[in-house]
Amino acid sequence: MEVIQQLIGRLHPLVVHLPIGFIIAALLLQWYDRKNKEWSKIIGLLFQWAFIFATIACISGYLLYKGEGYSFDTVKLHLWLGIVTALFSLLMYLRLTASSKIDFIKRVPVVLLSFSLLFLISFTGHLGGNITHGSDYLIEPLPNNIKSLLGVGPEVYESPILQEENWEEAILYTDLVQPILNNRCVSCHNEKKEKGELRLEEENGILKGGESGLVIESNDPDKSSLYARMILPLDHEDHMPPKDKDQPSKEELDIIKIWIANGNPFNKSIGEIGLKKEAIQAFFPKAKDDTYPDVEVAKISQDTIAALKKKGFHLERISEESNFVKISCINKPSFSDKDFNLLSSVKNQVVYLDLGETQITDAIFEKIGTLPYLTVLKLDNTPITGKNIETLEKLEYLKNLNLMGTNFEEAHLHKLKTFKQLQIVYLFNTPVKKPDQIIHPKEGELFIDYGGYDLPKIATDSIVY
Amino acid sequence: MNSLDRLIKEKLQREIQAKTRRHFIKDCVAGMGGLALGSFFMSCNSFMGNKDNAKIALTERDINPLASMAPPFPAKVKSVIYLHMAGAPSQLEMFDYKPTLHKLNNQACPQSLLEGKKFAFIRGVPKLLGPQAEFKQHGESGNWVSNFLPHFSKVVDEVAFLKAVNTDQFNHGPAQLFMHTGSPRLGRPSIGSWVTYGLGSENQNLPGFVVLTSGGKTPDAGKSVWGSGFLPSVYQGVQCRSKGDPVLYIDDPKGITRNLKKSTIDAINNINKKEFDEYSDPEILARINQYEMAYRMQTAVPEVMNINNEPEHIKEMYGVQPGKESFANNCLLARKLVEDGVRFVQLFDWGWDSHGTGHDTAVDLGLRNKCTEIDRPMSALLLDLKQRGLLDETLVVWGGEFGRTPMQENREGQEMAYKGRDHHGDAFTMWMAGGGIKKGASWGLTDEIGFSALEGQVSVHDVHATMMHLLGFDHEQFTFDFQGRPFRLTDVEGHVIHEILA
Repeated sequence: MEVIQQLIGRLHPLVVHLPIGFIIAALLLQWYDRKNKEWSKIIGLLFQWAFIFATIACISGYLLYKGEGYSFDTVKLHLWLGIVTALFSLLMYLRLTASSKIDFIKRVPVVLLSFSLLFLISFTGHLGGNITHGSDYLIEPLPNNIKSLLGVGPEVYESPILQEENWEEAILYTDLVQPILNNRCVSCHNEKKEKGELRLEEENGILKGGESGLVIESNDPDKSSLYARMILPLDHEDHMPPKDKDQPSKEELDIIKIWIANGNPFNKSIGEIGLKKEAIQAFFPKAKDDTYPDVEVAKISQDTIAALKKKGFHLERISEESNFVKISCINKPSFSDKDFNLLSSVKNQVVYLDLGETQITDAIFEKIGTLPYLTVLKLDNTPITGKNIETLEKLEYLKNLNLMGTNFEEAHLHKLKTFKQLQIVYLFNTPVKKPDQIIHPKEGELFIDYGGYDLPKIATDSIVY
Repeated sequence: MNSLDRLIKEKLQREIQAKTRRHFIKDCVAGMGGLALGSFFMSCNSFMGNKDNAKIALTERDINPLASMAPPFPAKVKSVIYLHMAGAPSQLEMFDYKPTLHKLNNQACPQSLLEGKKFAFIRGVPKLLGPQAEFKQHGESGNWVSNFLPHFSKVVDEVAFLKAVNTDQFNHGPAQLFMHTGSPRLGRPSIGSWVTYGLGSENQNLPGFVVLTSGGKTPDAGKSVWGSGFLPSVYQGVQCRSKGDPVLYIDDPKGITRNLKKSTIDAINNINKKEFDEYSDPEILARINQYEMAYRMQTAVPEVMNINNEPEHIKEMYGVQPGKESFANNCLLARKLVEDGVRFVQLFDWGWDSHGTGHDTAVDLGLRNKCTEIDRPMSALLLDLKQRGLLDETLVVWGGEFGRTPMQENREGQEMAYKGRDHHGDAFTMWMAGGGIKKGASWGLTDEIGFSALEGQVSVHDVHATMMHLLGFDHEQFTFDFQGRPFRLTDVEGHVIHEILA
């Protein structure tokens, strides 16, 4: 039985459009017929239909409200106005039908009824839309600046974040538990939409529980349905949140568990409860990876990637999150200066370029200088001497330069010192002489790795015990 | 002509034989589904048009299973060199300095430590055995290294120690499997397989996952420690030998020239291409690619595996012995392989099982010789990677499958002539170096005698999670569906060890 009720309830959004159509059609006919008054019979009939279907819509609407766990406050106005609409349709029908014997109806002006119905149908419909789609449904697609004019800010999903400085003072419930519930549960368990008669948007609701009793058993997370139902297998009938909704992360579940296990305190801080930092590691802001420039670039098309790969380049994105790429000639030892033009279509995306063991000459520097975001450059084991290397100075992100095994000349070394971001240069196995004393620079300054490391022979090398 | 006719006839017969009722039903189903799908996508251009367009729908991976792929997150390293000391080295003679154990030398082990513990050989009440090496703090980090590793103590600032790694296995085979596949039982893919599956390989002429062994034996757990488990077998480790042919049968047989080989492969591939045009099965393309790669590997592998062309000072630094199988040779090879874009290089060195049953397994004698064998090569490896700018983008991991007891082994309850230690997995030392690793760090603290962890205990899963993290994976998201459920390297455990990350 319950299934049929629910089914009928869910037909409400369909059924409801019949009376809307009839009423609007009837009102339009009234307008056209305002002079001749020839169609009253048909118009009356339309209002009769409108009344019948509006009544059906009211019943199915009521079943929907019962079946889906909406709170009465949310649907109250829509429900009453729906009934009023049905009644007004009836009134209009009676008013238009000549056979009507009730006198006072005859005295009501038709125009008044028409305008009332027009208002009712629009406003009730709008309220209904708000219930199903949310009250911000219409405003949502508007640009943010218009939204802020209307006084509605854009809504962003935010997972709770703790600060390095004061995480111990943060209140476990307020700063972690409730935000997690807000993100994962409250859209269905709130004062408007009280599914399972459960509200999780604030302390009282959580403690009160839902239709199947309390949701928290203090100190025993496994017996607390708030936690236990979230860790059920996704396919389990009782699993929460429903499997088509976003699921809480493992760390979020752990927080709920810890909170309940510690007696679900509403105002104790993380420090007071004695939580270790490891347990809440996931809620600290993630350190941003600063290896490559923090710049958005366009995505390289699949065709371009395929074409470059066909030419023998090794090309891969630095991560699935980024459009920057690494390009290497590891499988293309024949690469020479003129081949560089093949890369012109991706020059904004290359952050890592490995031209090691290729045929390039000093003429390559000018070309490399056209890669604005280049961060790592490997020119090892090539015949370059470093002439014109100063053209790379304009690469403001260049951090790592590998000149190992090249013919790089000492005369050009000083040019590198003015490179802004350059942090390390590898000069092992080049004509550059290794200084006697190697100065280790401060953080962020250029370090020149001359290589040539050695492990001098020591006596114990040859001792066999 | 007669024989050709017969051949053609036989081929036709074979084809008919190959068509079973199952084929018919299967083709029907696929055909119907295909028709439906086709009409579904009518509006979609890429599915229309000629055959060439249809091929675009194949991914690069369909054609080349080792095609490289972007990691989900920005990676700190692109390759890994894993140095495994098979047999389990004694942390108490190398890195974990316990002066109190020295004082308690030869005293009976307190009963409280033995309760509920399982040992492989210790019976009854064993005696404690003080450290058999002298320790000093080294480098700016001040980390402790023993006099068994004089060269390594000079590069100690490059590495980060994990002093309290924990495993629940106490026998070599299962413990090695656990260390390399995340499960002590057979059947899971090794870390190297996961990594090559996830990232592919850069060099088209070399395998993505290479294994080198030394010490005279392969690991107790057998080749499963570099196996691909349920991943496609193309991702398993390729064992190369540092002595003789690097890969068995890599040379062409007598009388077969390189050209003849090439035309054979071309002919096979042409037939395969025709087959593909007819059936469009991507497996065929993968096979074509495998033939070509194998052909290229025939020259590329011997080339990269040849250490004779290295300059003399490099050979001296590593202490290589060309023509022999040695850990030093393997370290130099590991550098060469990583330099040439190999994704994962796995080294196994056998001979670390210091039970004290003889001279070779005594912690003061045989172990010291083993330490001398690896000391120079592994230190040279770090320095050589560094001067080539490779240490930034390579992760070097060192460890055994477990550690050893602070108690002297008393096999059969008897006192033994040599000093040895039994298997012990509660707290042992590993180290990592390279990109993304906090240089000179040390995480984890063991008790006064080095028996259990006091702080910073990490599990094998944690080590795996950390390695995956550095390679640009979230170990919880990186899964492979097998037998109806997604599997991961770290199963349902593992936390990234942020304490040793830069």
